[in-house]
Amino acid sequence: MPKQILTRKAADHPYFHRDFHIALNDGIHYLYKKFGAGAVREYLTQFAEAWYSPLKKSLIENGLTAIKDHYEEIYQIEEADFEMQLSEDELIIRLFASPAVRYIKANGHPVSEVFDETVAAVNRAICQNTPFDCEMCDYHQENGGYTLRFFRRME
Amino acid sequence: MISCTEFIPAYNELFKYLEKIGGKSAVVDFWNDLSDTFLTNLRNLIVENGIRGCWLYWEKTLSEEAADFTMELDEESGEFSITMHHCPSKGRLLEYEHIEPYPDYCEHCDVLYRRVLEPLGFKYDLDRSQTDRARCRLSVKALDRTDEFH
Repeated sequence: MPKQILTRKAADHPYFHRDFHIALNDGIHYLYKKFGAGAVREYLTQFAEAWYSPLKKSLIENGLTAIKDHYEEIYQIEEADFEMQLSEDELIIRLFASPAVRYIKANGHPVSEVFDETVAAVNRAICQNTPFDCEMCDYHQENGGYTLRFFRRME
Repeated sequence: MISCTEFIPAYNELFKYLEKIGGKSAVVDFWNDLSDTFLTNLRNLIVENGIRGCWLYWEKTLSEEAADFTMELDEESGEFSITMHHCPSKGRLLEYEHIEPYPDYCEHCDVLYRRVLEPLGFKYDLDRSQTDRARCRLSVKALDRTDEFH
C-alpha cells in the first residue's frame, strides 16, 4: 500500500462532532462519582458564568428574547424537536427529546444520573444576577426531554 | 442543553475546575480516566486494523471537528502523522474573547492518546511547541514491525 496523504481545510466540513456529547457526559459522570453532585453543580455554574456571559448580558439588556434566540439556534444546530412560548415576562421551552441524550444512548453509553444538571444548573447560572429566574418544570430521564420556564423575578 | 458545538469551552472550564479543587494531578487523573472510557473506539480500531486504525479514527473525528490538517499514513514503515495547521479546539479557545484557555489545555491530547497507543506497541510523540498558534504535530510509529495488530 503506497503512502497515503490527506489534507483538509476547516471549511471542508461543518463543525458538528456529536461524540462531544459522550465526552461531556463522561466528564459529568466522573465529577459526580469522584466529588459528588455538589461538584457537578459548581462546575456547571462556573462554566455557565464564563461561557454564557454574553448571553447573560443580552438577557439583562433585551429580556427573554435573548434566551429564546439562543436556544432556537442551539436546537436547530442539534436538529431537535421543540416548541417555545414567549410573553413579556415568561418563556416556556419544551424540548421533546434531547439530541445529546439520544446520541449518548444510541452509542451504548449510560447517561449520567446527574446529566439533567447540564440543563438545571446551567440555566440557573445564566439567570443569576439578572431580573429573571429559571425553573425546570419536568425532566424525562429516558430521553432527556424537559420543560424550562424562564420568568421575571417578583420585586 | 449544552450543544456539542459548545463542548470545547465546557471542557476548558472542567480542566480549570478540577485544578482548582484538586491541583494539576486531579486534571491528569481525569484525562487518564477519559482515555480509558471515551477512547475505546480508537483502541478497537487499532486492534482491528493496526496503524491504519489511527487513520480511520482521526479522519472521522478531525473532519467532524472541521480541522485544518494534513494526515499521512505509511503502513509499510508503520508510521502515521497529523500535522495540525489549525486546531479547531485550541483555535476556538484563542478566538473567544470572553474565555481564558486553560494553560495546559493541549496536554490532554498527549495524555489521552499516549495512554491508548503505547500499550498497543506504538511510539507516540506530540510536538506542542506551537500550540500558542493552534498548531501541533502528532506522530505514531509501530515499534515492532513483526508484531502488528491485525
